[in-house]
Parts: sequence; structure tokens; C-alpha cells
Amino acid sequence: MARVTRARYSYEHMFAFSDPRPALPKNLASALRPISMAKSRVLPLGEPWSNLVPGAALRRGSSVVVEAPPGLGGLSVALSLLSEASARGHWSAVVGVDDPGVVAMAELGVDLRRVLFVPRPHGAWAEATADLLDGVDLVLVRPPARAAAGIARRLSNRVRERGTVLIVLSEPRVPWPLAPDLSLRITQAEWSVSSRLDARYLTVHVSGRGEAVRSERHVVVVPGRRGRVEAR
Amino acid sequence: MERLLVLWIESLSIEAPDGSTLRVTQALLDALNLLCPFTEAVRLGLFALPMRAPSRFYGGDDVVLDAVRRCVRDVAQTSVKLGVGEGLFSAELAARHEFVLPTGASATFRRAQPLEVLARRDLTTTCQRLGLRTVGAFADLDAARVAERFDLDALTRQRVARGELGELEGQRDARLARRLAQLRGEDGEFDEQLGFFGQRGAGDLRADAAALRVRQRLGAEAVAVATLRGGRTPDERGALVPWGAPAPARLDAAPWPGQLGAPSPTTTFAHPVEVQLRDAQGAPIVLGVRGLLSGAPATLAFSNTLRREITWFAGPWPLVERWWALNRRRALVQLVLTSGEAFLLSCEERRWWLVGIYD
Repeated sequence: MARVTRARYSYEHMFAFSDPRPALPKNLASALRPISMAKSRVLPLGEPWSNLVPGAALRRGSSVVVEAPPGLGGLSVALSLLSEASARGHWSAVVGVDDPGVVAMAELGVDLRRVLFVPRPHGAWAEATADLLDGVDLVLVRPPARAAAGIARRLSNRVRERGTVLIVLSEPRVPWPLAPDLSLRITQAEWSVSSRLDARYLTVHVSGRGEAVRSERHVVVVPGRRGRVEAR
Repeated sequence: MERLLVLWIESLSIEAPDGSTLRVTQALLDALNLLCPFTEAVRLGLFALPMRAPSRFYGGDDVVLDAVRRCVRDVAQTSVKLGVGEGLFSAELAARHEFVLPTGASATFRRAQPLEVLARRDLTTTCQRLGLRTVGAFADLDAARVAERFDLDALTRQRVARGELGELEGQRDARLARRLAQLRGEDGEFDEQLGFFGQRGAGDLRADAAALRVRQRLGAEAVAVATLRGGRTPDERGALVPWGAPAPARLDAAPWPGQLGAPSPTTTFAHPVEVQLRDAQGAPIVLGVRGLLSGAPATLAFSNTLRREITWFAGPWPLVERWWALNRRRALVQLVLTSGEAFLLSCEERRWWLVGIYD
């Protein structure tokens, strides 16, 4: 008695001549997610900052101070703090940076479509910052002179009220008059060179309030060979 | 072609930094819309309304002109130049000369104008060398002869000169209507910075409102957005354009041989700073014809008093560009100073310029 085996058809045979279906992109789920949750309490931080900063993110309503001697990578660090949030769809603004290196920002991963620049606010940097705090999620400001304590307090009140993040770029000579929620202090910069500038190793002291009072010293590569931030 | 009444108000043509220009423009537009509902703001300082229907309704050109003049005096408290002509191009010229051209007289008026009114300098000079001084003489040229020598834009201008087209391309400010809509609180549409699936979310609108507020506070050019384009040096590849300006063409994917690779300087000067580069003996460093430096750079001097020691340099990377026009020769050099700062320098015409800081 012959065994009858039933041919096993599957629907693929019907489409034998059609092209194979392209694989779904791996990051589809993240791409279809709403770009930003209005109520989320934090703004994302990219690698390696998420490993170095307490809470692994920027808390809304907090102010961050990046302190570096002039020319030693303060601007790179401050811009790299914007990059992940900007890539996830948050708006940011850059106040008081006269001639921002747009190409370097793109290399750091900042989405330039969602960045507003106020390059030369002259005397009105605090007013411009306050205006922008109403409208964008992160404001990076480099005060052109020593900031008065009253102005700094008013700005940080506004930050807390609006739930935005203020990143202040200052120098050791002209420190920000208030104690920040998170402080990144750069003390040393060392270039690694080949036939050109390759990467810069920055020594960054990270300290904060609350759970992160004690200061920790890290070495971060800003910028690396591709212009991005890397862990050492 | 439609007969138009054009208002030219000089005091409104230049935007004041406090935003009053737009407010007055809007108030004036509202008042003129009561006279004729088809009034439009063509660009700052220039308004246009159709003439035929109001002239019939109010009973003659003079009555309409009087009403408009009174309206401007009441609302904007400035003087106005009025002109009537067929087509926006002729009508604006008529307004500048304060002519009211009767029906059919616009062609003669337009043809008698000097060629400068077509607002293209190369066209004017070339035609003047050929002995053509008026718009009419240029209009009479064979279009094929014009196309041989000039581009499509010149052909369009010739069509304007002939009266086949009513207005020049740059005559109308496309952004003005949208900015006025924003001022009224009606959200205009934006062609830049599209969000998810081309829609704009609440965050985008909030950012626009904030940018508008900063611009009202600090002036029209205060807020900028960044654009990327092709080029070899960082200052060519990226630029800031005023916020709200029409979006420039997107980044071309063309390869740029000789492009300076990553990392790029985080400060790129829009106006480079001149510096002096010297070797250990104090002699200035010169870039030779073969693209080599005359010595190893040892000091960088910003002025006589401010000089810094150099610990390391790389380059020069020569760039020879634009051989068809001006034969531009440049070379880039990277420096690291003893203090740890890194600079990008460019040599052009035997002088050294600080173009970027790796801050």
C-alpha cells in the first residue's frame, strides 16, 4: 500500500516569481515610536556620557555647567551633550557661540534641522536665552561676560519652571555664579596625532548634586577620528 | 494685462529691528483691504491693488488715488508714491515716477525706461556696448540671439521687457505673506524643517514661536539655522543662514577630493583672523610654489605682543581650485600649541589666516 504523502504547499509557492520581501529595518520600532514624550522627565544622552552622568540622562529642569579653559574642548563637550536629544527630535538652541563649526556639529551627531543659533546676541544674551527656554528643549549658552548672580538665578528658575535643560559653557576665569545640577569640568586636553589631528583625550571631572556629590574623573575622546564622542 | 495701482512707501521698505515695520504693514494692509479686498503686500514697502473695479465703483481713477493716499496718511503717517500701470513691473516703475498711465500707455512707458530697471548688471553693460540703452531696444532683439549670449533668466527678463510677462522674478517677496500671517497669529506653512511624515509637531511650532520672539527682540538676522553644502574646507561646507530664509539646495553627495576629513573645528570663523607664522629663527613661513613650507613653524603671532609656541604641526595640504576663473591656491595647516589648543590655518596669497579652532 502506497503511502500518500500530501504535498505541503505553503503560500510562498504562489509568489515564487515575485521578489523576496525586503527585511524590515531593525530600528523600525524605535522609528515609529513618538519622537518625544511630552511628559518624559529626562532628555536622552548618548554614549559615553550616559555611562558617566548620574541618572544616565539630562533631567528636565536642570542646569549643566561645562567649564573648560579656552580652547581646550569645552565647546565640543557642550555640543556633544546636545547630540542625542537632537537626533531623537528635540529642539535645541545655541546662544552666544559666535562662529559655530557647523560641520563639527554634524559630525558629533547633532541634527542641524532642529537647532536654532543666536550667534551674536550682544548685550541681550540673557533675554535671548530666556525667550528660547520657552520654546526649545535644550539651550546651550556661552555668556559673553561674567554673568550676574541675579540673571543666573532668574534663568535657572525659568529652566525649572519650563522643564528644559540649560547648558552653560564657562571658563575657570569667569565661573557660573550658581551651583549647577551637573558639572563637567575639563582640566586637561591631549591630542593624539598621526599625519593629522586624530583624536583628543579630555580629562573630565563629573560632579553633581544629590546622589552624585562626589566628583569622578574620566577620560573621554572628544572628538574622535570620525568626529564623534567615544569612550576611551 | 491687468491694470494695477501700486503704492511705494519708502519708510516701510527697510525693516526696523523692533518689528514695527511688519506691524505697520499689516495695519495698512487691513485698511486698504476695506477699500479694495484684493490688495496685497508685494514686498516690504510695496503694495498693489487692481485698478479697474475700484475705479468703476468709486467713480474714476482720481477718487481712488485720493482715497488711498488719505488711507496711508491716516494709518502709517508717511508719504506715499502712487502709480498706475499694466502689469506689476510697469506699475512699480510708474509708482517710482508717480505716473498714472492710461490704458494702453504702459508699453510706451516701459519701452522708454533705461535698461537698468531690468536689474541685471551684465545684461545692461553688454547691451550698452552694443548701443542698446532702453528696455524697448532690448525687447526688439531676436530672442534666439539673446539666448545665444545669456541664460534662461535673461530670456525671462526679455519677455518682461516685451510685455509678455507682467513681473520680474525677484519683484515679489514670497515670505512676506507668511510672515504677516504669523504676525496675525495664524500659523503659516513652513517649507523648511519638516518633521515626522512631513508634519510639524507641537515642538516645532513652539520653537518657531521662540525664534520669532528672539528675532523681534534682536533684529531680523539674529536667529540663524545651519546648512551643509559641498566644499573642501569646514568654512565652505557649513554656513549659518537667517532663520526663515528660503531653504537652500540640499547637500550634494558629490565627492570632494582633498576635503579635510573629520574631526572638524568646532569654531569656524566667518571672517578669518590674519596671523603670522614664524620659524625658530623668527623668519616668516612662506608657502612655496610646490606646496612646501619654507621651514617648520615654531611660533604663531596674532599681533606684536601676543605670540604662542607651536609644539606640533601637520600639512600643508594644498588646494588648487577654480582654475577657470581666478586660480585660487590655498593650503591648510593644523597646529597644536603648547597650551593644548589646536588651530586650523589657511594660507592664501602669501598670508596666513586662522580659519578654525578645535575648541
